[in-house]
Amino acid sequence: MSTISSPVAAMPAEDTAKHVSRLTLKSQLDDMALLWPWVEALIAQFAIPSDTAFAIHLCLEEAISNVIRHGYNGDPGHTLTVDCASPNAHEFVFTIEDQAPPFDPLEPEHIEELVEPSPEDFLRPGGRGILLMRKFASTIKYERIETGKGGGNCLTIRFVLPE
Amino acid sequence: MELSTHEMDGGITRVELDGRMDIGGAAAVDMKMNLIAGSAKKLLIDLQKVTFLGSMGLRSIVIPARAVHSKGGKVVLYAPTEMVESVLKTSGIDSILPVHHDLATAIAALQ
Repeated sequence: MSTISSPVAAMPAEDTAKHVSRLTLKSQLDDMALLWPWVEALIAQFAIPSDTAFAIHLCLEEAISNVIRHGYNGDPGHTLTVDCASPNAHEFVFTIEDQAPPFDPLEPEHIEELVEPSPEDFLRPGGRGILLMRKFASTIKYERIETGKGGGNCLTIRFVLPE
Repeated sequence: MELSTHEMDGGITRVELDGRMDIGGAAAVDMKMNLIAGSAKKLLIDLQKVTFLGSMGLRSIVIPARAVHSKGGKVVLYAPTEMVESVLKTSGIDSILPVHHDLATAIAALQ
């Protein structure tokens, strides 16, 4: 984990130039209905293969629901942004930024609680969303952003298209 | 997200899910799934038409499955697509809820 000085600094100039699209969501799960059509438009625009499209939907749903439920702790009065950049024809980078208190979803202590813990470890969702993101994304990176206005969190999820 | 049920021979309840099991889809079927789990003892969850499965969707399958297990019943998952099955395997759910691609085998596993 590293700390950087501003949201702008999180994205190198060459990536900023290849910024594709931004989605702004309220910090409420209902607003996630906007996510699917936004991703579908990107998939159509770039003819992203179906397996990668599935992976993008999966990782963004997990990451954004984490921000809403855990980062903002269910408080609906905030926003978060999702940016898509395409540094090259084979790579898509999604950056999720919020202004929530420090929340690193990749840290074990933030992994989702078991819904119904049992000796047989029936549900085992502890880390299930994180496990899924790690499996389906090419890379995931968390950074804490300090802006002087309380700061925020930045999760970068990268997908490399299969050759 | 659509859900339909069919009663099969041998006391098997077949639940056919159709659509995206994302957060919205999970919310749409949660109550019905729990109601079905309240009465079913042999549950075949047909995933053929499930085009997406996230962790909230997993929860919508696993919680009712647990309810069936808790009263001595059985649950199998039937015919997920390759990507949906990859989600099941990554989450480890497949080790608790067996996945079958052949209907006869799925039915046999419920007997």
